Amino acid sequence: MGRKKKFIDKKNSATFQLLARDSAASSSLFPFPFSSSSSSGAEAAASSTSPSDRVFVRVDTNAFSVPGFFDDDDDAAEGRVVNADESRDSAFADAPGDTSDADDDGAASSSRGRGGGALPDHVRREILELGLPDDGYNYLAHLREIRNAGGGSAYYQNPRARFDLVPLDVKAYDASRLRINEDAVEDLAGDSIYSVASRTASVKVQKVADPDVAKLLDDSDLSRFGSDVEDLEEDFVVQANRPEGEEEEEEAEEDEDENIEAGCERGRHPTEGAEHGEAELEDQRKERVRRLLDEQFDMLTLQEYDDDSDNGDAYSDDADRETLSSKIVDTLKKYGVGDQESSTLSELEPSADVIRRCQEYAEGYLNESQEDEEAVLVQESDDESEVWDCETIVSTFSNLDNHPGQIQAPENPKKLLPTLFPGEATAKRDVIALRGKEMLPVDYLHQKKRNVESTKKSKAEVSSGSDKLKTRVRKEESKEEKKERKAAVKEERREARRAKKEMKGLYRGEAQRAQMVASVSGPSAIHLM
Amino acid sequence: MAAAAATPYGVMKGAKLGIEEPREQVNRIRITLSSKDVKNLEKVCADLVKGAKDKQLRVKGPVRIPTKVLHITTRKSPCGEGTNTWDRFEFRIHKRVIDLYSSPEVVKQITSITIEPGVDVEVTIADL
Repeated sequence: MGRKKKFIDKKNSATFQLLARDSAASSSLFPFPFSSSSSSGAEAAASSTSPSDRVFVRVDTNAFSVPGFFDDDDDAAEGRVVNADESRDSAFADAPGDTSDADDDGAASSSRGRGGGALPDHVRREILELGLPDDGYNYLAHLREIRNAGGGSAYYQNPRARFDLVPLDVKAYDASRLRINEDAVEDLAGDSIYSVASRTASVKVQKVADPDVAKLLDDSDLSRFGSDVEDLEEDFVVQANRPEGEEEEEEAEEDEDENIEAGCERGRHPTEGAEHGEAELEDQRKERVRRLLDEQFDMLTLQEYDDDSDNGDAYSDDADRETLSSKIVDTLKKYGVGDQESSTLSELEPSADVIRRCQEYAEGYLNESQEDEEAVLVQESDDESEVWDCETIVSTFSNLDNHPGQIQAPENPKKLLPTLFPGEATAKRDVIALRGKEMLPVDYLHQKKRNVESTKKSKAEVSSGSDKLKTRVRKEESKEEKKERKAAVKEERREARRAKKEMKGLYRGEAQRAQMVASVSGPSAIHLM
Repeated sequence: MAAAAATPYGVMKGAKLGIEEPREQVNRIRITLSSKDVKNLEKVCADLVKGAKDKQLRVKGPVRIPTKVLHITTRKSPCGEGTNTWDRFEFRIHKRVIDLYSSPEVVKQITSITIEPGVDVEVTIADL
């Protein structure tokens, strides 16, 4: 008998699964007709969502079409067939659809009928408007919103800015007076801009900048670059005190003085002549103010290099005398305040006694001259150095010359080894005895250990004493005495044990210390512990 | 004619009667419900059947297909040490089948209303 007709013939029917919108079509590599675990996730999703989110997804590849189930069934069937095929057989069936067929599956709209990857019309229109190609890719995903995000200098909308108060940065050119030549009109075609601009008259409409700013910008005088403290002259005090009429003369005299010191030739002239004669020269030389350094240089050149001059000794003596006399005179003049008749002073004393006096002074002066030079030097340093403070002074000292020691509190001589060792008394030979496992010089250890040693010795004595007691009293004991004795023995033993432990610890400490020292100094093969 | 005979309820395709009747084609529809959770499954089945009966459709009640049990037996121990104890895991799949005679749209309506989590619905449509 034939089989009863099946209710549904699977080969001629369409099978749909109810799934959530986003999920891929059913999967199966699974032999069972029910859905695999992946779509069980989907089915869970399908059930948990609202009815509108669930869709029927065709899962078979039959040629059967159901007109009522989808809106445009024919395309769907074809498209669906392909997708179902792919989804069933591919290894990536579990993966969420990255093409739009997942969306197509989910969409219950008319867009489902298209082939995979088609964009909605409005999207396509927008893409085309932007000038991007219409190739099915959604370029709108790559658009960036243009924001005022900076890019170096963004415009900041300041709500409190008042632009009417800010003066305009414009210059207006009044072209009313401009007259363009008729013949130039022909040339206008060439470079019209320049011709026009050259003939304009500038008319200031508004001030461009603040007066303060303009002042600052108008940097004509570099006064702010000048030093606040100008170099003072060497005898500014004297100068200041001197009445003003003499200042010019003073300068002249100074110059003359320096010149005289520098050159013998100049010394030939009589002083008065020298003064007058050189006044003109000085005026010319006044342009560059002579410094003390210049003076010194000239003196140096004179001394070092000009000794081979033609002047004989006698003449030079005369010259010296002359220079000296003039020097004296001038220095007197310098420090003699209010000497109006400076020029006449030399005239008053051209006589022999002057020369004599000069000679006397000369010797003294010559003797002093060296000191004077030094003094001059000192003076220079005094002048040039402004302020010495402690730190700068101290910085001029160096440890090369200075060996400052650190001030420390005097140590008590406790740390020193005791000169008298108790062990020394007992030492019979000139040999330091090393005892114990660690081979330490027992006699020369620290106090603590020595005490321990002594206690050990005492213990030894005590124990020896108690031994004697033991041997003696054994016969005449009662129970209590026995107990006492035994307790005493126990006590001794306990003590001995404790002492032994202590010794051991001490030895180990010492050994450790020795090991540390040996690790630094001695060869590594020595193991002291 | 055969088609007309075969469609006790439905109207002939394309023909329109005076009385407004739903233009539907009757198909044989098999709804297969499967789940590992019996309670939910039974609930969904009951709902479907009820919904179909409300719409005066011919329903063949939920046929219970024998439960398939998948066994996974694994050693409890992560290493090989110890007494050889075994875990016996099982995964039970319950399946129910409901047969209908109706149009696809109606079925869509029915299935859109009621669904429990964990129940997988598969609809097979064939011509009458």
